[in-house]
Amino acid sequence: MPKPLHSYIWRYTLILIAVGLALLPVAWMATMAFKPHTEWVTTAADLHWWPEKETWGNFEYIFTGQTDAVSITHERTAGKPILASLVTSLLGTLIAVVAGTLGAYAVSRFKVAGNLPLGVLQLRLFPPMAVMIPVMIMWAFLGAMDTWWGLSLIYGIVTLPFAFWLMKTFFDEVPREIEEAALVEGCSWFRVFWKVTLPMVKAALASTALFVFILNWSDYIIALLLTRKDWVTIPVYMNSLSSAMSGQMYGAKAALGLIAALPPVVFGIAIQKYLVRGLTFGALKQ
Amino acid sequence: MTKKKKPALTPLEREGKILGLYMTLPAQLLLLFVVAFPLCMQIYVSMTWWGPLDGVKWYYAYESLNWFGNYGEIFDDSKFWGSLGRTFLIVAVVVPIEFLLGLGLAMLFADKFPGKRIFYSIMLMPMMIVPAVAGYMFFMLFQSSGPINDILSAISGTRVDTAWLADPDLAMISVMIADIWQWTPLMFLILLAGMVGVPEDQMKAATLLGANAWHRFWRIVLPRMKTVMIIALVIRSVECFKIFDILYVMTGGGPGVATKSISVYILDLTFKDLDWAYVAAIGLFILICLSLIAFVGINRMQAAQKKAEA
Repeated sequence: MPKPLHSYIWRYTLILIAVGLALLPVAWMATMAFKPHTEWVTTAADLHWWPEKETWGNFEYIFTGQTDAVSITHERTAGKPILASLVTSLLGTLIAVVAGTLGAYAVSRFKVAGNLPLGVLQLRLFPPMAVMIPVMIMWAFLGAMDTWWGLSLIYGIVTLPFAFWLMKTFFDEVPREIEEAALVEGCSWFRVFWKVTLPMVKAALASTALFVFILNWSDYIIALLLTRKDWVTIPVYMNSLSSAMSGQMYGAKAALGLIAALPPVVFGIAIQKYLVRGLTFGALKQ
Repeated sequence: MTKKKKPALTPLEREGKILGLYMTLPAQLLLLFVVAFPLCMQIYVSMTWWGPLDGVKWYYAYESLNWFGNYGEIFDDSKFWGSLGRTFLIVAVVVPIEFLLGLGLAMLFADKFPGKRIFYSIMLMPMMIVPAVAGYMFFMLFQSSGPINDILSAISGTRVDTAWLADPDLAMISVMIADIWQWTPLMFLILLAGMVGVPEDQMKAATLLGANAWHRFWRIVLPRMKTVMIIALVIRSVECFKIFDILYVMTGGGPGVATKSISVYILDLTFKDLDWAYVAAIGLFILICLSLIAFVGINRMQAAQKKAEA
């Protein structure tokens, strides 16, 4: 049934407005990242949407702590926070995915550990703030404050629910017949899991890992509570970039923000297919 | 359910159960380590006067027992109730708006049109931006010499110089706008997934029978989407209650206490007042309230399901 032209016009108008609104803040930050110091703050009448003189100075500044036009030098560069974000997010993802995958398979196949599905879901219900006091005491006691392993560990736990539920839905979908055939041939259960089932969910496993990585990478509050100086992650470092002396370091922060924003957007688009499933704990499968 | 006699397990099943227990071990240990044990610790600390600068190890906190004093204090703590109220206000305003916008968008994207894939990907982008970074974006946008005022000036023709983040009400609105920007895509994504599930031939039949778009939506799409809608609303409400990153980067809870959500209030208590015993009590209080709400909610949903089945 052909649709009348005006319905298309309406639809595209509305969609373009929505897309424009979605892009506006991102675009502002992206152009700000290439604006020289003189254009960071302007009088209202002199506002430019596009940098007058494009520069890489902001990137130079966050990585080396100095650049031509900016008089204030910053002794802590962005290198370490980026490394910290990478290391802790990756290790956290590893912990969550390994524990989640093993647990999900066991729950899906052997109906053991009935407490696990809801137990991990609870982790998601409570505001991290409400439960962080004992964790902070514990971390201080263990010497895990401001260390890479302390932060990785808590990331692994916080994102465990997502890994567990995603993998559980994937395992639920694997046809039993194939596994049973392998069992009849005398394989042990673990061999079946390792050699038959896991290869079948390889793509799903990769998506789960990317999804969990995005969540870890996006964290701010936990790093704020559990790191001080050595292992602060990008968002915490970013907020420390402005001080009473330097004022708002608009361009430098925008450059860093751009770097921080890139990986999740790229990965997110890559795993679009599974986003709904991941975000609703498998309740919806699209 | 009547109790059945457990059938004897075959060797293979036995092997599976044992392997299963081993496989769940890492997850169980993690749960024990960060849920069960800390919970006990939190209950313990919350009944004392303990603070991190007392010079006393936490396990000696019993030397300064306060019993339920901290819990009593919660009820007299007007700052706590204020933050809780503001948090609920944010949830009550933001979640319905996100829901309606998401639903509208999902309807726009419901059937095929050229360019759908690329527009869809762009629409999902906001929710993939690191929330703290999104907060910073909006911090820039809402500066008094920033682009929002620039756009408003262009539209209205007069110079707009509103200091968005310095005015209590406007700061709250700014934070809400930022949250709506970031999380409408989530609603859109979930609701669109639910909409795609509606069988196409049903829609075609209805169209042939003369149902207009409004009727089709109201009578066919909506009833089928009920579960999806509830899921979307519940997930978003729970997450929104925790609101912190965007808000903290944009306003830090200010001006004054104008945008102080419960998470920001607890953060201040933790790092500025260092009253950790009290924080533990507040945390537990929130935990208990949320658990009660979740418990009632789940029970109601199950009851509704049973009713639907009968």
